[in-house]
Amino acid sequence: MTAHGKLLTAVFSLTMVGGGLAAYKSQKIGVPFLEGEQVDEWLVEAKVSFLAIGKKVKARLSLPSDAVQQGAGQEAGSLGYHYDVENDRDEYTAVWSAQERDEGQALYYRVRFKQGLVSGGEPKAALEQPAKPDVPKLPGSLGAAAQGIVSQAKKVSSDPDSLFVALFKQINDTSSSQEFVLVKRHYEKQAVTNPEIAMGIDLLGLAGVPARLAYGVFLNEENAGQAPLPLLEYYDGAFWKVRNPLEPSKLLDGRELFVWHRGGGPLLDVTGGENSRVSFTVAKDRIPLATLTDLSDSPFLISTILALPVSERAVFRYIVLIPLGAFVVVIMRNIIGIPTLGTFMPVLLALALLEIKPVQGIIMFSILVGAGLWFRFLLSRMNLLVVPRVAACVVIVTLLMMLMGVMSFQLGFSVGIKITLFPMIIIAWTLERMSLIWEEEGKRSAFSQVFGSIIVAVCAYYFMRVSQIQYWAYYFPELLLVLLAVILLIGRYTGYRFSELIRFKTFSNA
Amino acid sequence: MHESAVIEPEEKAPVAESSEKKVQHKWWHRWFRTPGELRKLGVVGINMRNARFLLPNNPRRLYDLVDNKLRTKALAEEQGMKVAETYGVIRTPYDANKIEKILNGNEAFVIKPTRGSGGKGVMVIDKRVGKNFIKPSGAEVTLGDLKNYVSNILAGLFSLGGQRDFALIEYRVQAAKLFMALSFQGAPDIRVVMLHGYPVLAMLRVTTKESDGRSNLHQGAIGIGIDIATGMSVQAIHHGRPVSVHPDLGIGLIGVQMPDWETILHMAVTCQEMTGLGYLGVDIMIDETLGPLMIEVNARPGLAIQMANGIGLLRRLEPVVEQHRKNPTAHLTAKIAFSKKHFRAKLPPARD
Repeated sequence: MTAHGKLLTAVFSLTMVGGGLAAYKSQKIGVPFLEGEQVDEWLVEAKVSFLAIGKKVKARLSLPSDAVQQGAGQEAGSLGYHYDVENDRDEYTAVWSAQERDEGQALYYRVRFKQGLVSGGEPKAALEQPAKPDVPKLPGSLGAAAQGIVSQAKKVSSDPDSLFVALFKQINDTSSSQEFVLVKRHYEKQAVTNPEIAMGIDLLGLAGVPARLAYGVFLNEENAGQAPLPLLEYYDGAFWKVRNPLEPSKLLDGRELFVWHRGGGPLLDVTGGENSRVSFTVAKDRIPLATLTDLSDSPFLISTILALPVSERAVFRYIVLIPLGAFVVVIMRNIIGIPTLGTFMPVLLALALLEIKPVQGIIMFSILVGAGLWFRFLLSRMNLLVVPRVAACVVIVTLLMMLMGVMSFQLGFSVGIKITLFPMIIIAWTLERMSLIWEEEGKRSAFSQVFGSIIVAVCAYYFMRVSQIQYWAYYFPELLLVLLAVILLIGRYTGYRFSELIRFKTFSNA
Repeated sequence: MHESAVIEPEEKAPVAESSEKKVQHKWWHRWFRTPGELRKLGVVGINMRNARFLLPNNPRRLYDLVDNKLRTKALAEEQGMKVAETYGVIRTPYDANKIEKILNGNEAFVIKPTRGSGGKGVMVIDKRVGKNFIKPSGAEVTLGDLKNYVSNILAGLFSLGGQRDFALIEYRVQAAKLFMALSFQGAPDIRVVMLHGYPVLAMLRVTTKESDGRSNLHQGAIGIGIDIATGMSVQAIHHGRPVSVHPDLGIGLIGVQMPDWETILHMAVTCQEMTGLGYLGVDIMIDETLGPLMIEVNARPGLAIQMANGIGLLRRLEPVVEQHRKNPTAHLTAKIAFSKKHFRAKLPPARD
């Protein structure tokens, strides 16, 4: 077969297999082909991990009772464990138990619910009047200080709600009164996990308002494996209410936060293991539960990322985007003809831009590359060998990143912190490559390649960000085969690049 | 090679270039040319060069023959071709201390990486003054600088993908006077591009003040198209625009006769035969006393040569493809004869 024939056969079969699988999934199994044809669902996965010590193991994880009661989709994953849900007066707890276990263990519990305004932290009528809060006596002058704070706060508030707001506003305020600082220090010294909240609970108790710890989860897909967010639940005389002590005056928003555990008691209790912890991963699931159960029975489950635990899926959210970025690079280089530094550096840059915002990302990239380049030229005066020079660049870039992180934090931009995720190897490598091109081909060439890379990266970023495209890549990964077919076709494109139309504009016929 | 292949068909002359009409000037020509116009001119783009000429004719395994200058030189010497004399090769950082011994009293020399291409990493030394070395621009270089430079070459600074490399120290070509007069502080070189051993286009590259001794057209060097048939310079371009005199020297660039043109063509075609690459460019310098010397073979020659000649490569490549299909075992002399016969340019009046 000729090369041409082979290519066409490959393109045809890839398109048929990819397109066919996608068609089957959408027509027969009913996975919607277009995004937004159904209500989005949140999928929250709790992962309990601990180190078993070779004894009987029992792990108890408190569950969101509203979700369980309303029959929201839930599933638990754990190999070889006995699993049960315990119901104690509307407080639900997942209980896993097993005989002698060794080494690291991971248990999963997933719950799904419709995206909406319900946060699970709505006021809840108390089953019985809670007992008068029992507050530990604070020693000496501290007790008086605490009393002073409470009476002060009581003066400016009319009910438990406003008391809560008044107290926590002061706790969060860095420039609070001396009495406050004194009490706060005492709690910080006690080495409890959340000194501010422990202090708040005791102060509310002194004021006669029963309060206890609750836990929530941020509904944020980016933040994989997040730790439970401590919240506070207090009794206003008729209802138990939940609020976030960091934002005391704000009511909980069901679009941002999900209350996992309330009603006092521990969130997680593990016997027979140490170093136990629970972490949460959140994913927006666009496929309704009913469809998913069909899908999990079908052999085509393998072609979806849905077969993985949520925490693993989070990684694939980015990985499936890489081919899309590569596709953009192919178009930009072979059809448009934009010069780039290296072939796939723009894809990596675009992935970095997905984590940081594009404008800030590019500014940061430019500053780092600019400053790094300057240092690189200082280094080149010392006539260093290549490898030590690249290593020196890496050290300098690391320091620059730290500096930028600290500076932007001081100036109040949170982006600076995220810069650590910025693949610094790309920057170090860009520096080295760029300075080499600078010396060999002149600065024009070096700048045009860097600008080209940035332009391609921004295009790739906007392409990868289209939610319909993300949806296809995530739920129909077999469509990547079709993309592969298109890339193969472009591989045989022999026409002019756009840049060549300009390059040869002065072509004069001899 | 069969001797019988020398005979070539008279009547199957490819499209004569003189019969083409000049493309009429349109308003958009200030910014771009349409793909249709470029196709009509026979301009080859990168995609076409790679897909139609490079990939099918240049097998990957042959690349090392030309990417490694030591192998290219060895092959060329086997063929009895004249190349710049090798003074020595530095393979380890330890050898770098032996530079003095390698130079063996030669005051002018060139240091280059064995795997660099397109003049990357080439350092030229003209003479010695005391302990120091003098570059053509007049800059002084100490022995320590030289050793450092060699270490950078060994670490792979200039080679593709940063792989380890050797430093080659060789004879500094004393370019022919005729050429030095055309060039600003740098030795000009002649590039001949061939397909299947048929020379298709040739150009002379001369340096300018702006290009700083480099003969890369991108950096401001001048590309001068050379007629394959006669070795006479036909037209010149600087930054993509036609020029007739050197911007720094004011000397006329058109109508200059290349010396030893026959030898140059012969050399180029021999390079094709010894490497086996189908599509390649050969760089040749002309020494005042030694005559033409083969400098390097390039397996991915660029497209600027069409601009320098004002002739689309496809005009030349298509007849060669056809000729090669009909006569795959043509002899070197037959190939040269074919090219000279069919690739004759409209000659300008001689300069003098």
